Amino acid sequence: MVWSRTAGRPKLPEDVPLALIEKGPHGLRLRALNAAARARGLRRGQAHADARAVLPDLVSAPAEPNWEAQALVRLAHWCERWSPTVAIDPSPDGLEGLFLDVTGVDHLFGGEAGLLEDLRERFGSAGIGTQMAVAPTAGAAWALARWSGGCASRLELEQIREGLASLPIAALRLGEETLRLARLFGLRRIGDLYGMPRTGLARRFRATDGQDLVRRLDQALGLIEEPLVPVRPPVRYRAVESFAEPVIDLAGVEAYLPLLAATLATRLQQDARGASSLRLDGFRSDGAVVGLAVRMTVPTVQAEIWLRLLREKGLERLDLGFGIDVLALSADRTEPTDLVQPPLELEAGSRRDARPLSELVDRLAARLGEHAVTMPVRYESWLPERSERRVPAQRAILGTAMGRPLVRPRPILMFDPPEPIEALAELPDGAPARFTWRRVPRRVARAEGPERLAPEWWQPAHVQRDRTRDYYRVEDEDGVRYWLFREGLYGQDDGKRLPSWWMHGLFP
Amino acid sequence: MNVQTLPVPYPQACATLEEACADAPRAFAATLRFALSRLGNDSRPSMFCTLQRHQYEHGRLFGRGVEAGGSLLVVEPRKPIEVLWAAEQALRSGAVAGVVAVVDQVTLTQTRRLDLAAREGGASALLLHIREGGLSAARRRWRVGSLPSAPNPFDQRAPGAFRIRAELVRSRAEPLSMWMLEQDGETHRFRLADRLADRGLVENGRPAEAA
Repeated sequence: MVWSRTAGRPKLPEDVPLALIEKGPHGLRLRALNAAARARGLRRGQAHADARAVLPDLVSAPAEPNWEAQALVRLAHWCERWSPTVAIDPSPDGLEGLFLDVTGVDHLFGGEAGLLEDLRERFGSAGIGTQMAVAPTAGAAWALARWSGGCASRLELEQIREGLASLPIAALRLGEETLRLARLFGLRRIGDLYGMPRTGLARRFRATDGQDLVRRLDQALGLIEEPLVPVRPPVRYRAVESFAEPVIDLAGVEAYLPLLAATLATRLQQDARGASSLRLDGFRSDGAVVGLAVRMTVPTVQAEIWLRLLREKGLERLDLGFGIDVLALSADRTEPTDLVQPPLELEAGSRRDARPLSELVDRLAARLGEHAVTMPVRYESWLPERSERRVPAQRAILGTAMGRPLVRPRPILMFDPPEPIEALAELPDGAPARFTWRRVPRRVARAEGPERLAPEWWQPAHVQRDRTRDYYRVEDEDGVRYWLFREGLYGQDDGKRLPSWWMHGLFP
Repeated sequence: MNVQTLPVPYPQACATLEEACADAPRAFAATLRFALSRLGNDSRPSMFCTLQRHQYEHGRLFGRGVEAGGSLLVVEPRKPIEVLWAAEQALRSGAVAGVVAVVDQVTLTQTRRLDLAAREGGASALLLHIREGGLSAARRRWRVGSLPSAPNPFDQRAPGAFRIRAELVRSRAEPLSMWMLEQDGETHRFRLADRLADRGLVENGRPAEAA
């Protein structure tokens, strides 16, 4: 598979030989080739210098393996329009591909032939060349897609033995060492293996790299299972709408959204479940997916609440590009909804009800972001900046984890991180007499302290660099009350770092 | 400052929309404490809404120092208009007892919207102005300053109970006046330290008539 980033570069014509090169142990080598380069006799893994000698007009570009991996993941997400289970085939050396589990899916596209046709067409219009196959097992599909020659082939379960028999052994996804050994034994085609005694085969081709011959053969023939690991957990609840013509404006999305939401809500209601997170995916015709995700504190099945949250999140953030042809609304996480009896209105005037608060929090979080809507939650630590955490409110209002309340006075506003000040104390380990904060000198009228907080010795050394802190409550002549601390002790620390003064908070 | 002959009662209950402004930037902490303590005290949580970037200027709200009883929802949007939006949503929903929002330059229309939303949700809103605002639909406008704290009975050199000065500079319902409030060390609520600031304080901090 040749990947090249075409954005911002002139697209090369098909007949110009192109290679992506990477650094190998012995200099530059070819990582991927296009069809024209392959037709001129170059091959993968060849030294770049040799290739240039053979073909002086070879166009080469540096390979970007990380970008390739990301592009494959994006493509896998896009393939979720055909099947909920899309797995990335991790075969090395440019043999990467995608597995789509199409069990029970093909009838939506007019059978397996129709599915292949649809795939080829859509990939083609997105500018991606494909080789694919439908087979009863992942191994057989892999072999057929790469070795059968055609660009879309199909195989039924009954034909699997004879269908694979004529393919070379390399079609079994084997390691380099195993292939070399098989060549030594004169085993060339998969059909050659059918007649061999299994125990002998298993003993001879004991895998050193986990790609053992017998296991691969059994996987291809469907004698043992091969699990596929999907890129995203397959969603159970999803409503899909596909359009004959790509939708190019938000009004179209807006128009179809209530329909999708109603379909999804009906399916969830049948199973007595509520969605706690929702995702709206638009599958663009150029091979990209755009999406919006919202979270709900309390699982809900009301379609109008979903719509409101999605609109709050901003449908205008969807970049429709040249149009989307499939729109899917999926409930990524669902929870059983129990019928809850609302509490009796015991106190007059109190409107305590968890639902309005959770709805408010969901709305605020959808628009402003999850981390902009928080609740301070106590945490067991003596260090002031660690004694409280800002937990996203969507999690905090359900939880009850509360640390112990503190009886020591604490400021109402805190500077995190603390701001350095210059302080002058009468005694080295006493309260400051005057200090300068934000370039304003202030004279201390009254002071109380110290409250000594030792560093947390149980933290690993690379995490905690703190020293002992002595906190003082200090009031200046204007009646403003500060919370200062001196970090470090005189005469106890190593002589390199002198104690320093910091401003940590303000009292009312 | 006009001299009152009779002590004016401190309006305990918060109106649907009030405003507070610090008399100097250094009194922001006192103003915030005053604003939070004026919110309704029912079982619903309160909400504090401020711009994200304000935490570098004024510091971040520290829940341990508030201990407001109920839980506190902190909303920190990026844009000034989102502060008003979040406050209005919260007030209208009826899920919170009150909202303290730090604002700068709001228009009369915006404050009217907040007032209506607060009435609809049975909540109260307190706008914390960074600068003294102009026209607004607020029922009361406060100016808050910090005062030297009360004498500490256990240590002469240490600060005692925190004291602030709350001045009612505009109101529709009652005469304008000024109060000295003192924070209770245990409940964190404010109590009246001096009903009549104009007459001055006696030494033990009790009102002049009682002394």
